[in-house]
Amino acid sequence: MADLTMSDSSSATEDSLFDRSFRTRWRVGFDRVVGWLLPLLFLVAILPILDLVGYISYRALPTLSFQVLTSTSLTRTDTLGVPILSTAEIMAFSTVLAVAFGLLGGVATAEFLSERAAGWVRMSANLLVGLPSVTLGYFGYFTFVLYFGWGLSFVAAVFTLAFFMTPYIFRTADLAFTSVPRHIREAAVGSGAAPHQYILRVATPIAFPQVLNGIFLAMAIGIGETAPIVLTTTLSTTLPSTLYSPVSFLTALIWENYAQSTATPAGRALVDLAFQAAFLLIVVVIALNVVVRVISHRFEKRLEGLYQ
Amino acid sequence: MNTVNSTPAPVPAGEGKVVPSPPSPPSETSRPVPAPRLRRLGRVLTIIPALVPTAFLVAIVLALFALSGFAVNISWSPFQVGVRWPENFGWGFFGSDWDPLAAPPGQPHWGVMVFIVGSFLTAVPALFLSMAIGLGLAIASTTYLPRSVTRWLDSFVDLLAGIPSVVYGIWAFVLIAPIFGGTLNPWLADHVGFIPGFGPPPGLAGGTGLPVTIFVLTLMSLPITTLLIRDSLRAIPTDLWESGLALGATRWEAVRRISLRHGSRGIVSAAFLGFGRAFGETVAVAMVLGVNAAYPINFYSSTGTIAATIFGLLDSAYGNSHFLAALSEMAIVLLAISLVVNLVGRRFISSIIAYEVPGI
Repeated sequence: MADLTMSDSSSATEDSLFDRSFRTRWRVGFDRVVGWLLPLLFLVAILPILDLVGYISYRALPTLSFQVLTSTSLTRTDTLGVPILSTAEIMAFSTVLAVAFGLLGGVATAEFLSERAAGWVRMSANLLVGLPSVTLGYFGYFTFVLYFGWGLSFVAAVFTLAFFMTPYIFRTADLAFTSVPRHIREAAVGSGAAPHQYILRVATPIAFPQVLNGIFLAMAIGIGETAPIVLTTTLSTTLPSTLYSPVSFLTALIWENYAQSTATPAGRALVDLAFQAAFLLIVVVIALNVVVRVISHRFEKRLEGLYQ
Repeated sequence: MNTVNSTPAPVPAGEGKVVPSPPSPPSETSRPVPAPRLRRLGRVLTIIPALVPTAFLVAIVLALFALSGFAVNISWSPFQVGVRWPENFGWGFFGSDWDPLAAPPGQPHWGVMVFIVGSFLTAVPALFLSMAIGLGLAIASTTYLPRSVTRWLDSFVDLLAGIPSVVYGIWAFVLIAPIFGGTLNPWLADHVGFIPGFGPPPGLAGGTGLPVTIFVLTLMSLPITTLLIRDSLRAIPTDLWESGLALGATRWEAVRRISLRHGSRGIVSAAFLGFGRAFGETVAVAMVLGVNAAYPINFYSSTGTIAATIFGLLDSAYGNSHFLAALSEMAIVLLAISLVVNLVGRRFISSIIAYEVPGI
């Protein structure tokens, strides 16, 4: 930028206060063109997602009805009642497990571990998040299905999914309890609060929205996972009657049905079913993501408020 | 919330009375407040739950090793029968001869090089594309567009990360792949066929193959790269930025010479983490690429990746301990690569960045 000086003789004339050299005009023009072109790149990201949501709604909505969503009839394979209930059941159990693991771990890491040890634990949580889901599914297959002998079952899917969701809850719980302002902590400890009193009465009310956030985020991720479920259970047309029975799941249903031939009415119904399941998943995931964003925004505001 | 209470924290001395605290040092340092002092039992009991993530990681690695042929004479491995490294497997594991279910007179072979190559062939181009687009998006969003607009546009990009991969898969398989197979691939084969590897045949009519896989993987890693680059460009000090502009630089020059240099570490980590996502993606790849144990003959053909192959072949491996061992060795390769990629990628960024976006 050193040659920004008035090297060009024409620009030194009286009528021009500004540098009008070719080079300067080119630089400013280039900047302006970049400023118009780069935002167009957003189309690359936004068009596919609009297309995806639009196409899946287009395929799902004409055949979607209240009856399809709620019927749990055992003879019909073109209704979603059983997969929806099974998904809710798996998600409920594995969320409880993951919250138990992740919340305890996160609080303990944030409150009781030395900085050095906490660094290691946080690193392993980050690595867990970065693991491909098929590795986790394979782990679940080995540990729960084969080694514990549970077979391809409901309980194996629940535990594998819980393992998958735990690091997300762990990380947000850890973050939430770490970001409680220092002076509040000092005030609590200084006025004689025992550790458990500090955690339960002081830190938890402040950290709660963020913890909730982590739980919602983990649910949004868990409900969209396919590999851990497909590898640890088999698709069933009924609700699980015992812990060890096979179970259905929305993503697994899509995986089973997406490539059916549409030549026959039966195959076409199965593909429609897959699209309906995909539509439901999108709705749930987007809703959860919006909730996460809103809560997270509120949490930041709240923390700012605490510092004033 | 009561679960937190499971730690029987002993009450420190002076409970109930207001203990006069020592005068705090005048300067407010950034050091965190030291952890509350607990007695020994309490300390042990509280540290155990904190080890949950580390224990999970160790368990996963152990499980994969126990099932593999590496597990020579491990008494707790259920599949030690007959599977031995290197007698049964040997270094042929890294060869390209894959025939797991050979009929009895022939020997089964377990060379997985095809899948390793396939993983890189899909993930690397996707990474380049998503880094290029991500850089553009991040620069546009931090420099050229007003905050009121980017708040909406950015959340659209972040939404890409939340869509389940199986939904990407069915969308790409039903809608996008036929476009590639029917129009784009033949057109490319006709017009850029002079480039080696881009000539005909233009692949399957259904369109499943490398191009659509690269497309899907680009979309899936785009939110990660964009978000990380955006955060690293935002982190530039205002002083630097404003002095650049005051010296007469245009915004583009300021971005190129100040922001990109200042945020280079974040950009490198974005590349690593985006690669990790593209490399480990399973279900969507299994749907649009398939599991095909052959090297691609050209740009339009199909092949297999490590993750999709483990996912797709586990059914046929059931009860065949050699096959299972081969799959878990593939899983170890996948695990090792993604651990290394994540370790390197996270060295450069704050560990608590962007928790709201899945997969980072």
